[in-house]
Amino acid sequence: MLNYIWGGLIVLSLVFALTSDLTDFVQDTYRNGTPLPITITFDEEYNADARRQYVDVQLLGNDLATHYGDSSITGNTWPGILLQTSAGRELRFAAEASLVEPLQTICQETGQDDCRGALQGTPTSAEWQTTIIFGPVRWVKMNAIASAALDFARTAVTLALGLIGGLGLWMGLLKIAEASGMLHALVRFTQPLIRPLFPKVPKDHPALGMIVLNLSANMLGMGNAATPLGIKAMQELQTLNETEDTATDPMVMLLTMNTASVQILPPVTLVAIMGLQINQLFFSILITTALSLIVGITAVKLLGRLKRYREVTP
Amino acid sequence: MNIVQVFLDYASALVLPAILVGFPLYGMIRKVRVYEVFVDGAKEGFHVAVMIIPYLIAILFAIGMFRASGAMDFLTDLLRPVVGLIGIPAEVIPMGIVRPLTGSGSVGIVLDMINQFGEDSIFVKMVATMFGSTETTFYVIAVYFGAVNIRKTRHAVPAGLIADVFAMIAAVYVVLFLFG
Repeated sequence: MLNYIWGGLIVLSLVFALTSDLTDFVQDTYRNGTPLPITITFDEEYNADARRQYVDVQLLGNDLATHYGDSSITGNTWPGILLQTSAGRELRFAAEASLVEPLQTICQETGQDDCRGALQGTPTSAEWQTTIIFGPVRWVKMNAIASAALDFARTAVTLALGLIGGLGLWMGLLKIAEASGMLHALVRFTQPLIRPLFPKVPKDHPALGMIVLNLSANMLGMGNAATPLGIKAMQELQTLNETEDTATDPMVMLLTMNTASVQILPPVTLVAIMGLQINQLFFSILITTALSLIVGITAVKLLGRLKRYREVTP
Repeated sequence: MNIVQVFLDYASALVLPAILVGFPLYGMIRKVRVYEVFVDGAKEGFHVAVMIIPYLIAILFAIGMFRASGAMDFLTDLLRPVVGLIGIPAEVIPMGIVRPLTGSGSVGIVLDMINQFGEDSIFVKMVATMFGSTETTFYVIAVYFGAVNIRKTRHAVPAGLIADVFAMIAAVYVVLFLFG
């Protein structure tokens, strides 16, 4: 199923991006190459020899609305710089100017790190009425999905490397717990509770202890500790796996219990966002997660009986 | 309720230090060579982190592309009439779609909703409950299964998603029941 979902996400992204870009192309959303009326006011008198001069740029709401065919756009005045280059006069919006859509998008797509457009004509007075042409905007979404793919691939590595510290700490502590016989005691003490859910794990197996620790950390909202403990539990379960790359029943159960986990205390992130308001949500989260845990466990047990998901032993 | 909560609050603050000190201390009492054993275990941390990288890249890049393509807005529009039928407000749909895919994205949604409707609003209670009741399922799958090189996930994805969908719907009803 993950194969289909994964492939589906990628193919769907392409379909949606392509549709959106073709719509832009057909409707000429960004009016590529069409001049837009603009009024430029010089801070100091216009100087034909100056390479750059500070100006104020006024775009009227009416002009914008007619130009882009969207009556909701409002006009404004932004600070900018008039540049005289060999190619002609160009207007550069000041970096701090927060532009309205679709100008914002146009600037993001055309400028490397600044937002420019070519001006037509020659300044005649301190208040110069002219037109501006922005660079052509094409393939907005196609560029977006391509750069998102690269960004997220990098994020994946950052995330994984960020786990090293926590993983090392917990795995070290757990090794001590194992060597000191603590884990064994925990297993003996909790297995009557937990083993009915993991019938294929042999009695007194250390995996049960790791599972208990992982689930407890989850319940207490300690996400940072829960991940290393869960990974350790998976490693213990993998020692019982007869295949190399196929999930076993206990693994699927553990994973589902983690994604649907009971939260006695809400996760730390949510507490950080909600502040004191979290007190009210204490019960709603507890009830919801308790219900979804039951549904999750039932789903695992029932789906596991389906022919296509049945365990294959080599 | 208050006493329970205060107790849990203390418990969660004390559990971590208790483990950090308790495990090595108990090990020392049981005559374990704690330092040597710890280093032995910690060695694995690096190995595991590197093991999960390919799995995380695979999952995250697909999700990133999907988010950037604008497909989520389309899905929200598609689901609006369907979930309306079972009494779920359209405002909370984005959370239902984003939550299993990305953690940071769903935090953004909660913050957006707080800005838009205020902390006390029932919609914020709903999305916050949804957030607290589910996990970023695909990330968890990538990390947990990636760490032991499991590629054939069998019924883990459907079971996780069933639990997710159920939790999303249940969150709305539970909040309506408690605060509605």
